Amino acid sequence: MIRVYTSSVIDAPADAVWQQVRDFNGLPAWHPAIAESRIEAGAPSDRVGCVRNFRTRDGGVIREQLLTLSDFEYECTYSILESPMGVDNYIATLKLTPITDGNRTFAEWSAEFDCAPGRERELTQLIGQDIFQGGFTALKQRFLKAAA
Amino acid sequence: MSLQRVTRSTVIDHPIERVWPVLRDFNSHVHWHPVVAESHIEDGLLPDQVGCIRNFRLKDGAHLREQLLTLSDRDWISTYCILDSTIPLYRYVATVRLKRVTDGDRTFWHWESTFATPAGRERELTEQVGRNVYQAGFEALRLHLAPV
Repeated sequence: MIRVYTSSVIDAPADAVWQQVRDFNGLPAWHPAIAESRIEAGAPSDRVGCVRNFRTRDGGVIREQLLTLSDFEYECTYSILESPMGVDNYIATLKLTPITDGNRTFAEWSAEFDCAPGRERELTQLIGQDIFQGGFTALKQRFLKAAA
Repeated sequence: MSLQRVTRSTVIDHPIERVWPVLRDFNSHVHWHPVVAESHIEDGLLPDQVGCIRNFRLKDGAHLREQLLTLSDRDWISTYCILDSTIPLYRYVATVRLKRVTDGDRTFWHWESTFATPAGRERELTEQVGRNVYQAGFEALRLHLAPV
């Protein structure tokens, strides 16, 4: 089992950041790697169990299922049903925690998965840096602009 | 008596490997926390021995004994309780928890407690713990770790 952990600080209150990221269908609005997204079977995007079907900018199609959504813990957990990445048993969690000192947000994005031997480093880089850190960098920019 | 909960959190601009060795030492507060005048671990125990008791006096004359309940080098957690205190904090249990901020190699520090107080003194004592102990501690440790 491979574990990937990425964390960052976003200069906005946790409520504001959560409003941006809690929409399970909202990735194209803030994540630079995601081109388009829809929720299958017409389900609302905060219905636990719903499936998002989205396309990355490089053309890959990924289907992910919402497993946990907590407005109390600012936490969202989901699994990959289908993807071109070659990962199995992939479960990821995105969690926010308020930083009282400065009214900012501590953001954590982590995943566990299995993969073919020899691909660990490549996938850790792709998921931890390109997807997770890429998302945090975009959020930091977005809230920087919002404050300006 | 209803339980009060105090939560304060911050980000320290040092790697977790630098912050944790200070906070895991249950007697270190005398070296960095501005309200602590003197402190020792009772019975010659070590300051990372679970169950050890720190016996300390604040600069304002208050006297406290606190016992280490949990210490985790895996999850960067320290939990302790008040055994005796001249400050009326009852059933006080506090947890210090660190997390790695991978974006910038910094440290997220979460400090939380629950306790009861005499009726009518809830606000005063939660302010005192949150501001004079936790927030003041954040600022003092920042100075303690900074190269002068």
